[in-house]
Amino acid sequence: MTRPLLQRSPMPGFGLSMGITLTMLSLVVILPIGALLFKGAEFGVANIWQVVNSQRVWTALFLSFRLSLLAALINLVFGVALAWVLVRYDFPGKKLIDASVDLPFALPTAVAGIALTTLYAPNGVFGHLAQTLGTKIAYTQWGILIALIFVGLPFVTRTVQPVIEEIEQEVEEASATLGAHRLMTLRRVILPMLAPAALTGFALALARSVGEYGSVIFIAGNLPLKTEIAPLLIVIRLEEFDYNAAAAIGIAMLVIAFTMLLVINIVQIFSRRRIGLV
Amino acid sequence: MSDISRVKPFRSPTDEAPLARWSLTIGVIALLCILLYAPLAVVFTEALAKGAGAALKSLTKSEASSAIRLTLTVAAVVLPLNAGFGVAAAWAITKFDFRGKAFLITLIDLPFSVSPVVAGLCLVLLFGANSTLGGWLVASGHPVIFALPGIILASLFVTFPFVARELIPVMIEQGRAEEEAALTLGAGGWRVFRTVTLPKIRWALLYGTLLCNARAMGEFGAVAVVSGKIRGQTATMPITIEMLYNEYLSVAAFTLAAVLALLALVTLTLKTALEWRYADQLAATHRH
Amino acid sequence: MHIEIDEISKEFGRTAALHPVKLAIPSGALVALLGPSGSGKTTLLRILGGLECPSTGRVLYDGQDATGLSVQDRRAGFVFQNYALFKHMTVFENVAYGLRARPRNERPNEAEITRRVTKLLDLIQLPDIGSRYPSQLSGGQRQRVALARALAIEPRMLLLDEPFGALDARVRRELRQGLREIHDTTGLTTIFVTHDQDEAMELADLVVVMSMGRIEQIDRPVDIRARPATPFVREFITV
Repeated sequence: MTRPLLQRSPMPGFGLSMGITLTMLSLVVILPIGALLFKGAEFGVANIWQVVNSQRVWTALFLSFRLSLLAALINLVFGVALAWVLVRYDFPGKKLIDASVDLPFALPTAVAGIALTTLYAPNGVFGHLAQTLGTKIAYTQWGILIALIFVGLPFVTRTVQPVIEEIEQEVEEASATLGAHRLMTLRRVILPMLAPAALTGFALALARSVGEYGSVIFIAGNLPLKTEIAPLLIVIRLEEFDYNAAAAIGIAMLVIAFTMLLVINIVQIFSRRRIGLV
Repeated sequence: MSDISRVKPFRSPTDEAPLARWSLTIGVIALLCILLYAPLAVVFTEALAKGAGAALKSLTKSEASSAIRLTLTVAAVVLPLNAGFGVAAAWAITKFDFRGKAFLITLIDLPFSVSPVVAGLCLVLLFGANSTLGGWLVASGHPVIFALPGIILASLFVTFPFVARELIPVMIEQGRAEEEAALTLGAGGWRVFRTVTLPKIRWALLYGTLLCNARAMGEFGAVAVVSGKIRGQTATMPITIEMLYNEYLSVAAFTLAAVLALLALVTLTLKTALEWRYADQLAATHRH
Repeated sequence: MHIEIDEISKEFGRTAALHPVKLAIPSGALVALLGPSGSGKTTLLRILGGLECPSTGRVLYDGQDATGLSVQDRRAGFVFQNYALFKHMTVFENVAYGLRARPRNERPNEAEITRRVTKLLDLIQLPDIGSRYPSQLSGGQRQRVALARALAIEPRMLLLDEPFGALDARVRRELRQGLREIHDTTGLTTIFVTHDQDEAMELADLVVVMSMGRIEQIDRPVDIRARPATPFVREFITV
């Protein structure tokens, strides 16, 4: 016997709540994304491939993906360290710092973009410092990386923090009584326990970075083949009224985003099942 | 007793060495300063670079004031719509068992994994003047793209999951028992919602709406694509910041940015206050 | 190993968890620390294991001062109340952990590790569960794995914190027997904490009754039954 579509329930309001949900979902999310996919279907897989396969598009997609991956990796390490410090150590101003971690969520990306550019441009505080060391940050790939680290910063910390809070002290003590020094306990016992949550945060940061636009375009310099990110290319194509090309790049980005989420979900399910969280 | 003073100080087996502890703490705080606090500070120093008078004067220019008006209008439309959707979706998902629930949740979460620029692109393709639907809308005098409805739809898209995501775990945790009890006592559907459910979820609802507001007022990528950036008409605050910045009107750009940065700080403060005060009524991941 | 506790006390902030206590445990004994919660028995056990530092006093192992010995160097096999198994490791890796934690020059090779872990799993009568994860085990199995893991480091003593606390009555009875057997096979000085007087009386050679951070009586079970030293002991064992 198959499960019924809807289990009968005395609870009222299914029609109304489901109606609102589906209407809003269709109008705001499904129809627009459908329009993109429809446009893509109309344009044809071969044509999409031709657009994506050009050097400029390919370079931009690769750049977005590569720098996002790097930023997410940096945030993975930094995020775990920050979460550890915030949960385990005590120091003045801790609560304030804890609250401020969400700043990248709350601060509009355009504001972050112009602020980071001002700081890291050659006449800015950090940019000047970099110049005396002989490098440039703003208007190079380093600038994009900084912006992507900024937008992805809270994700890993916020997913890992509750897990650290729940580690039983006994487990760490057990490791010590078995002769393990602190570093081994951290490496072999604690880090593996944090891994699934850290991976979730990593995936969220990555997904966010790949599509990021507002904080990046100011600091990027936007030179084709050098510092041009994929979302910017869509904007450029739209401004040229080349909707087909814009849709093609948009679909490529959707495919990348979903593939990434799929891979990470599979890894996650595997690792959670293994340690018996499912 | 004196024996203990001779051995090295005891360190609990669950602590790191003080040197490691302090260097890690100082290290992460230093990075936070470079990555978070310095950009925040620079917004205000640049805004006040020519004095508070110049900054305030730039806000009274028509460009800035119409941008503020537009952004407030967008938020005023998006927030109730999104809150209403979030409550409805959370009710349907947590109070009933139906097939395809996981798929529905995935669809609601979808906007989180779509680039804002792609979201804007989708809306342009659906409602733009060269699409069938868009052409008809423009001809009948109700354009969506390069107009307020497009900005609202774009803001709705990027903030879509915020409220539902906050409410669903809270309502799952709270279960259905109290609602069922109210029903057995003869309360009708609306009464159950108003008198039993709403009081339990109000702080979570406020929390979700707060995050939704911050994102709606600050959204740049999706709005940049659909707004057409028409000065005084479709330029929201973030779009106006971009235009002023590109015209090297630094004080004006950063003053408007400072207004949004202040909003962000207020959002963080309220959010933290909710986390401290009503932790038990928020989704478990926000508890401290 | 002969263990001597010499005027050990412990304060947490201003509250004294343990007033200076004196206790000698003969080599190879099976000792119960018996008392209600808050009696200081777990604190005493944790001090013996090196997990807490006493405020005053000394711990002597075979006459040598071990007070400042770090928990890692102490080689005390410790079984925690909730077992504290590593959830992300298989049973095999859990038991092998202590061997792999040794400094490189003392670390046995893979074949030797496998041999020792297999032997320990045989000892706890669970030879076939090496590849399972802790979440796939019953409560009683977890307890025995925790015991095997503690024994893997070739401990100088065995310390158990409420080892049967989280189990139902039937399994508890079974595992009491198991602990007795393991104690008799290994000959290790074994100290366990319990609040259950039946458990203490049935299993231990020597029972240390504690209350409010003080030792009320140290005696063989029969003697405690026959001659309770204080009104507290009389009351506690007749409940």
